Amino acid sequence: MTFWNRRQVTMAALALVLGACPAHAGAVLDRVTAAGTLKVATDANWAPQSFMNANNELDGFDVDVAKAIGEHLGVKVEFVTPGWDIITAGNWAGRWDMHVGSMTPTKKRAEIFDFPAVYYYTPAAVAVHKDSMAKTLADLDGKVVGATSTSTFEAYAKKDLTLDAAGAPPFEYKLNPKEVRSYENSTTAFDDLRLGDGVRLDAVVSSLPSILDAEKAGYPIRQVGDPVFYEPLAIAIEHGDAELSAKLADAVKAMKEDGTLSKLSEKWYGQDYSKAN
Amino acid sequence: MLYPDTVEAEVLVHKPWFVATMFGIVLLLFMAFNLSATSFGELMRPVIGEPSISGLYGRFAIAFAIALIFTLNVVLIGFAPLKLQIGIVWLELLLLFIAFFETFHLSLPFIREKLPFLISQGVITTLYVSAISIVIASVIAVAGAVAKLSNNGFAYAIATFYTSFFRGLPLLMQVYLIYLGLPQLGFVINAVPAGILALSLCYGAYMTEIFRSGIQSIDRGQWEASRSMGFGFSLTMRRIILPQALPVIIPPTGNQFISMLKDSSLVSVIGVWELMFLARTLGQKTFQHMEMLISAAVIYWILSICLELIQSRIEQHYRRSKVR
Repeated sequence: MTFWNRRQVTMAALALVLGACPAHAGAVLDRVTAAGTLKVATDANWAPQSFMNANNELDGFDVDVAKAIGEHLGVKVEFVTPGWDIITAGNWAGRWDMHVGSMTPTKKRAEIFDFPAVYYYTPAAVAVHKDSMAKTLADLDGKVVGATSTSTFEAYAKKDLTLDAAGAPPFEYKLNPKEVRSYENSTTAFDDLRLGDGVRLDAVVSSLPSILDAEKAGYPIRQVGDPVFYEPLAIAIEHGDAELSAKLADAVKAMKEDGTLSKLSEKWYGQDYSKAN
Repeated sequence: MLYPDTVEAEVLVHKPWFVATMFGIVLLLFMAFNLSATSFGELMRPVIGEPSISGLYGRFAIAFAIALIFTLNVVLIGFAPLKLQIGIVWLELLLLFIAFFETFHLSLPFIREKLPFLISQGVITTLYVSAISIVIASVIAVAGAVAKLSNNGFAYAIATFYTSFFRGLPLLMQVYLIYLGLPQLGFVINAVPAGILALSLCYGAYMTEIFRSGIQSIDRGQWEASRSMGFGFSLTMRRIILPQALPVIIPPTGNQFISMLKDSSLVSVIGVWELMFLARTLGQKTFQHMEMLISAAVIYWILSICLELIQSRIEQHYRRSKVR
């Protein structure tokens, strides 16, 4: 065994042992094209972005976007539904290739993930109980506000939100809550809000589409004030595969230009959220 | 008495002081709530007139009626033979439960529509995850118990470290640690195996302690007698100790199986489509999650009842020698 040979063997052994080390350029893309399937991680509890439809299949805006991207790459799309904190923990270790689940690109998250493309912008809004006296956001000063834990909505309520991705519209903090309660998802927060005005919560910060959905489903809640910020939402992949990143960016760009994204947004939200405001 | 004896005594629920006390307590309890706006109030309309204006008299009349029905019910059940008593009380509690869920106004068509998927995907996954974990945990438990009782320093140290660690961490945390932590060591494990591994290790640790205490409950004389007959360790264990230890081990082990069946729901956090995951997910879009949660709760209950029945059959089998 020559010196070089031995070194290569050592490197290979090291790579095997470490395993989780960042994929080298193109590795994920190679795997995807070789297998012919793109494994997409998404939430199963985040209607109307992604949810189980009447046929017990995943459906929603994010799901449709992921399928459209798969079409662009010429591969089949397969979904996995780990919890949000599992996805954001990073270290996917090849369990899935990309995440299409309305992730907000922030600088901190960019340490773990690449964000090839922002594919839509969601307005975030504040909901109160129907019986609430609040007319403006200022009326909610010193009240108890709920939000999904580790979401941008919670960060906004705690005045700790950084939307530092390129193209994020500016915003200001209009909410001064006494206490911010964290929930596993927005529905549990709505469930607490529906109990009555101020019983457990005075208001919930969530995405405007999910507030409107809950209202439509008969929850006794209403939106108060204008949307508080517009959140850019992006596709996420792990670092280290520039080729996949470029391919995804191209795919989203093409979908923006040929109107696919606008059409999907109209289908799920009744409005075109593929551009800010 | 905790066993049926032959001393004749009056039934407790027929003693006047007990009946009177029970009546009084129920009366006071229901006086504390104003039930005149409910369907009880409507039922009492002939006696109390318009329920909303009946005031204190209405409240008293409703509470009196309820206390009367309750006491009469208990006294009458007291006359029935034991088996019938148990059956009636079960049935009444069950009816109360159903009446309680009735107040949620659940959409039955939605439940009927989702039930096949809930069973074909959710229950099947829950069952095979728990079944595999139960088998692995039992194997771990036997090995762990033997190691804990051995004089081998290594075996003892490893077994005590293992039980201490896996009993000392929340199961949810173990699920996360195994699913997220093992890939850092280069061992990528899928969600279902990770869940099974976490459940087996955690419950193996609890069951190690159950098996150990069961084996230890057998008198030392049994070991000595067996040794003096020339039996080795393995033969003593199989023929003398375990047959006597099993009746002690089985009830708490049945508990563990039931509790594991329900704790398998923790695997839903890593995206396994088992019963709990589907219960949280299926009704989300239409905001009908109460329907799904209650259906899943009932399914879990039925599964647990099956395990309970199996456990009681096994216990009966081992109680043969004690029957008179």
